[in-house]
Amino acid sequence: MRRSRRHAVRLALLLTALLWVLPWSERPAPSAQGVDVFLNVTGGGTKKLNIAIPEFTVVAGTDAAGLAKTLAQVTGADLAFTTLFTVVAAEGRIPANDPEALRKSWTEFAAAGAHAGLHGLLALRGNRADAEMRLYDLTSPEHRLIASKTFSVGTASARRLAHKIADEVVLQFTGEPGVADTKIAYATGPPGAKELWMSDYDGFGAAPITRNGSINITPVWDPSARSLAYTSYKNGYPDLFRLFPFERRPEQTLAAFSGINSSPSWSPNGQHLALTLSKDGNPEIYVLTIATGVLRRLTRHAGIDTEPTWSPTGREIAFISNRTGAAHLFVMDAEGANVRQRTFGGHQTQPRWSPKGDLIAYTARAGTFDIWVIGSDGSNARRLTAGPGDNQGAGWAPNGRHLMFQSNRLGTWQIFSMLVDGSAQAPVTRAPGDHTSPSWSPRLP
Amino acid sequence: MRTRGDYALFASLLILTIAVVGCAKRPATTQAAAPAPTGTAVTTPATPAQPPTSQPSRPGDRGPTAAPSRPSTPAPPAPPATAAPATPGAGTRPSPKEFVSVPELKDIFFDFDKYDIRPEDAKTLDVNASWLKANPNQLVLIEGHCDERGTNEYNLALGERRAKAAMNYLVSQGVQASRITIISYGEERPVCTDKNEGCWSKNRRSHFLVKPR
Repeated sequence: MRRSRRHAVRLALLLTALLWVLPWSERPAPSAQGVDVFLNVTGGGTKKLNIAIPEFTVVAGTDAAGLAKTLAQVTGADLAFTTLFTVVAAEGRIPANDPEALRKSWTEFAAAGAHAGLHGLLALRGNRADAEMRLYDLTSPEHRLIASKTFSVGTASARRLAHKIADEVVLQFTGEPGVADTKIAYATGPPGAKELWMSDYDGFGAAPITRNGSINITPVWDPSARSLAYTSYKNGYPDLFRLFPFERRPEQTLAAFSGINSSPSWSPNGQHLALTLSKDGNPEIYVLTIATGVLRRLTRHAGIDTEPTWSPTGREIAFISNRTGAAHLFVMDAEGANVRQRTFGGHQTQPRWSPKGDLIAYTARAGTFDIWVIGSDGSNARRLTAGPGDNQGAGWAPNGRHLMFQSNRLGTWQIFSMLVDGSAQAPVTRAPGDHTSPSWSPRLP
Repeated sequence: MRTRGDYALFASLLILTIAVVGCAKRPATTQAAAPAPTGTAVTTPATPAQPPTSQPSRPGDRGPTAAPSRPSTPAPPAPPATAAPATPGAGTRPSPKEFVSVPELKDIFFDFDKYDIRPEDAKTLDVNASWLKANPNQLVLIEGHCDERGTNEYNLALGERRAKAAMNYLVSQGVQASRITIISYGEERPVCTDKNEGCWSKNRRSHFLVKPR
């Protein structure tokens, strides 16, 4: 115990020393939410923040389902997923309304190396589950309270409490919320009978969102996370539809022209949809204004032009064209002018513009298929996956820091996640059968 | 004013990483309320327009696989685009389920990532064209397919070009374009699901089905 305290003191001294060598200009300003911004990261680091997450404390109601333990574990998994945290776990829970017990617990966790402590207070009333999160700085002698916030969900989606808490913790330490309270949509099923499914970002709660017995492919979330555009053969031909997975609301038909209606990409404001139509003779890129149905044609070329993806500013659209021979990545202004080729040689498809704007992910074929990213200005192309198997169909997390993709490295197509530097590749889906075309939702409202 | 103690954890986190990135604001989103009309949308031309080019392939042609590079600088504006006359409009599309395969119409096959008609497949198409001309009461549906390699969206476009290439050939041989409907299945309906070239080459095909007028 004495030795541990000495360690803590040394840590504090080290941190204080570091503080003084940092010039003021490098200290991030408090964000608009009044949160102190501690760090901001794009890649994996070797050093992580150690956060203690004891079982949540039940302060009201009966926890028959064992949520107090589950939610602490899920929050921990969410934070570990970010690769910014190491979770210091513990048995037992901290009693409610017992400051002395809390102080003792945090002292022990700090001695075990924890930098921060997260305490959840769970209230279960009827079909509601509320959780108050309290985040403590265990490197300060008084275990300073960094933040507290209460979340409320229906008990049927209790895991969202953990995701919301984790996102809040990430906000406190990075200045931007985490991406745990999000969904993924993907296609699954045997050839000729693919349905769309939706799950939490960690693969839990998977359930079908189409049940039409036809072929349904390439779901794409709108920027408000309320709806998905996708291509379905349910009326015989590949048409574009929009479904609302959280509402009792009929689907909309977005485009049902002669030929293919495919490759939807929402404009950042959700008012427009870039898409591929072949109604005028061969696959070309158009922009559909959702409210009016007005179509604007952007490309005119005898070759294939497809797979538009909007820049987060809304000012540019990247796409794939084989106009120079093989499929390559191009960027044009959102009105169709000023076309610039971004990749040369080889074969590239599936461009996806990062929500941060700086990168475009794509799939490159070189024997096998792998995920690459390139600067949106065409600079610094780099490979994120290198087998095993084929890796394709990247979809960005809303923070531009993680990607989901499909890989057949395990035999069937499964959804995997990774960091934008290609590290931390791990399966998200594990069920039998093929899982393809992941689309990662924006943060849920 | 924050105290030095307030910065202790702050500093510990700063040293976790040296990667610093700007925190871009997420653009505001607006939810469109009105339902989207279908099929009947107004088409307006993009400003730097080039005339659409669509030529039927002819026997021996290598097709538009390697289309000549076009200038991306502004060209003279084109007149408003009109719907392609070759395929029926959305409102009149016949259900693909009404079409059936007949032994007289043979599949044609394609090289990987190509949609030009190979000479041996042109012979197959000649026979198909003769049968269709001898059976003028039959409408034809041409399916374009790809192998599982490649990516869904691109394969949808590639399958469309394969169906279209077969259609253009048949039209060049005297089959009425108004009898022909095309559909791309991309990689979604393989005939063979093994993972080798022998199987993939069977999936890169255009398939022909008919139904009486």
